[in-house]
Amino acid sequence: MSLGPRGGIAYFSRFGVDEALIRHTLATALAHGGEYADLFFQHSVSNSFGLEDGEVNRAFASVELGVGVRVVRGDQTGYGFTEDLTREGLQAAARTAAAIADGPAREVPQRFHVSSGLPSRYQVRQRWEDVRPEQKLPILNEVNQRVFASDPRVRKVSIGFSDQASAILIADSTGRIVEDVQPMTSLYVSCVAEQNGKREAGGYNVAARSDIGYYNPDRISRVVKEAVERTVILFEAVPAPAGEMPVVLAAGSSGILLHEAIGHGMEADFNRKGVSIYADKIGKPIAKSFVNIVDEGTQEGARGAINVDDEGNVAGRTNLVQDGVLTTYLHDTISAKHYGVAPTGNGRRESYQYAPMPRMRSTYMLPGPHRREEIIASVKKGIYCSNFTNGQVQIGAGDFTFYVKNGYMIEDGKLTRPIKDVNIIGNGPKVLEKVDMVSDDLTIDEGGWTCGKDGQSVPVSQGMPTVRVASITVGGQATKG
Amino acid sequence: MKEIAHGAVAIAKAKGASEVAVRAYRVRDVSVQWRDGKIEQINESTTRGVGLQLYVDGRYSAVSTSDLRPDALDVFIGDSVAMTRTLVVDPFRALPDPKLYAGQASVDLKLADPDYPTVTPETRRRLAREMEEASRSVPGAGAILSVTTGFSDTRAEMLRVTSNGFEGGRVDTSFWTSAQVTVKDADGRRPEDWSAAGVRFIGELPPVAEVGRDAAERALARIGSAKGDSTVLPMALDNRAAGRMVGALLGPLHGQVLQQKRSFLDGKLGTVVGSERLTLADDPLVVKGFASRLFDGEGLAARRMPVFDRGVLKTYFIDTYYGRKMGVEPTTAGSSNGAWALGDKPQAELLADMKDGILVTGFLGGNSNGTTGDFSFGVQGYRIRGGQIAEPIGEMNISGNQTDIWKRLAAVGNDPYSYSPGRTPTLVFDGVQFAGN
Repeated sequence: MSLGPRGGIAYFSRFGVDEALIRHTLATALAHGGEYADLFFQHSVSNSFGLEDGEVNRAFASVELGVGVRVVRGDQTGYGFTEDLTREGLQAAARTAAAIADGPAREVPQRFHVSSGLPSRYQVRQRWEDVRPEQKLPILNEVNQRVFASDPRVRKVSIGFSDQASAILIADSTGRIVEDVQPMTSLYVSCVAEQNGKREAGGYNVAARSDIGYYNPDRISRVVKEAVERTVILFEAVPAPAGEMPVVLAAGSSGILLHEAIGHGMEADFNRKGVSIYADKIGKPIAKSFVNIVDEGTQEGARGAINVDDEGNVAGRTNLVQDGVLTTYLHDTISAKHYGVAPTGNGRRESYQYAPMPRMRSTYMLPGPHRREEIIASVKKGIYCSNFTNGQVQIGAGDFTFYVKNGYMIEDGKLTRPIKDVNIIGNGPKVLEKVDMVSDDLTIDEGGWTCGKDGQSVPVSQGMPTVRVASITVGGQATKG
Repeated sequence: MKEIAHGAVAIAKAKGASEVAVRAYRVRDVSVQWRDGKIEQINESTTRGVGLQLYVDGRYSAVSTSDLRPDALDVFIGDSVAMTRTLVVDPFRALPDPKLYAGQASVDLKLADPDYPTVTPETRRRLAREMEEASRSVPGAGAILSVTTGFSDTRAEMLRVTSNGFEGGRVDTSFWTSAQVTVKDADGRRPEDWSAAGVRFIGELPPVAEVGRDAAERALARIGSAKGDSTVLPMALDNRAAGRMVGALLGPLHGQVLQQKRSFLDGKLGTVVGSERLTLADDPLVVKGFASRLFDGEGLAARRMPVFDRGVLKTYFIDTYYGRKMGVEPTTAGSSNGAWALGDKPQAELLADMKDGILVTGFLGGNSNGTTGDFSFGVQGYRIRGGQIAEPIGEMNISGNQTDIWKRLAAVGNDPYSYSPGRTPTLVFDGVQFAGN
């Protein structure tokens, strides 16, 4: 990043943002004695195209430009935001945020330092603003044609292609300025098939912090194949059983179990408030010694990857569970200070309209000592879950669920009949204790997962090797016999 | 706002759009979150922006921006028109028929409280603090680990202007109080529950102490919850939770999923979908309702419509585009307030009648497949024995099919949940599959 007339500010100088404006706003933010203040500027440009009934016949675009002003005193936060990036607009937001504190004004840094040497984790050879619609539209048309050609039972196909570039600038009262431009792209295909008067809908989606090169022939072929296969297999599905039984989770998006069963409960805001079932459990054994769970933002191109979090901290790798022992919470600046540890780069927010809080990035379990075949063979009667749509958790009680879209019965150690549409429910710590086999086939899912918390959505990734949960409740329709 | 909306219409026309609809909005949100004796977070903001639906030579796009600097808006709309030109012509895209704009109900919906400006930061803090005090005043409060309460108020203003003659706006206010309480269980679990109340007029808020106490009592009642056996039992669905089940029934009534063949209610108009107890209208004209409106998202004059009458499906929610695609008249782009034909008993009497079953007070995750009607939801609540609330149950699941469960609707309470647009009463279903041990 080159130094220039705006004091090293690169992207946001086009909106008139300079050091003088930042200093002036921070001075107002700290006028009542806040301990810390930061500004979060964001300019996000998103475009998407939709295909329905055989044609790309709709497009969507949005621009979000705004700035959030935060003032922190201890665990307390004052927050205001505005879309009006003038001096007056920023002053109003800063006055709002400043009201959290009640004391003499604090000093604002005279000089700011623009952070350089940030990691580079996004795969961008061509910026999305330079990609023409003519480069994107053939992707949708090709996928549509190939899905229809794959299976005569397919009746309807809808496809969405999206890209986004979100530029952020964080300036704080320690004199630090951090800029980042975060790309994202996603492609979803959903299809409806019909057989003997019955209809089923299914689909597949992929997402990454990448450029148009992400859509290589291999990926397109996989998107087509998965979308069709996940739909037409539903015609053969039988109702899943109801009750407690062994469950084998396939490698990949089964990471949703970690996200719900432990990830949210390890977000440090819930723990500093004492409302998580994992509060006061750091250093205690929680799972078998071969269970290791991490949350990181470092995997190049992953949907959950970030160079820096939305507080300007470099996102690293955090060990939630190491050798079966609960190790580290996921921190933002406030919780890190509360616990007297370094921030872990988990301070994230949906946009300038929200204050940051501890959030996951890419959460997965490391490979273990078992083999997939061995795990399936070990189950006499249970289910195998391969695709998921959504999950939820109660932070304090620890109960969590995840919804299985596709899976199989396991009978006498073999995958037999397909199953569909079944919710699985368990209790976080109890289920982690029951993870008794972990395979060596870790897969990070390529799907477009989005995590919601307190009304804020952020993109995440998740992954898993094949694992066995010795016993968990399957919400099927037939009481087990 | 008027200036921005009309300005955007003019720019779009000048850039080559044949037709355009613009929605401009401005929303002021203020909230205070209070936790364990002090403020946790205060938020205050006014957000604004503009959204456009562009019809360019038979092609369609929908775009929005919060960057309202005149030069930026001009470039954005110009770029959007150019992007729209790259699409395929879609003969079904058009603004609504202007005759559907006519005939708005002449009723004062009373959506905006004139007292809104009088709410002060001190009031918000005091209400949040009093809610916590009420939570901590209930019997058994010694088990409380943490109380988070909140007060928030919103004033939202919107204006819709189209190039074929529609202009309509709305201002509404809302005020919400909420409390969330976490308690200590013997085995290290920290069960939580919540309560909330929201109104259009601040003077109509129930006493905040009621909300605080309700949250604490609900959380304390969760202590010792356990998984029950897998079984088939009658289910009473608490009024504040029932909206989830109703939503799974209403979603498949929308034009897009019908036309795209992903609705289990496709072809079911005029047929029996539920029991005689299922009588539900969509009523956008409820005075002070949370989803009340004189015109819908497309500007169509809003009217009350029966959705189910004694179990028979009476209408779909069809917007202009999918109506043209399906060759039917549009009804409305989306549902508004629910208006149930209520029963005559409160929940306690319904439970007494049920004798043996499960009262579900909350859902946890799960999903409903709109194409087939298959559903599977995590649930918590209480076992009902001898018509009385007995032990708390959790970590359980219900499953079935929408086409079957609504035929099992056995009773409807007299207690619509007024803090959500669905206004759903307690619902009782026979023979529901529960999964547990």
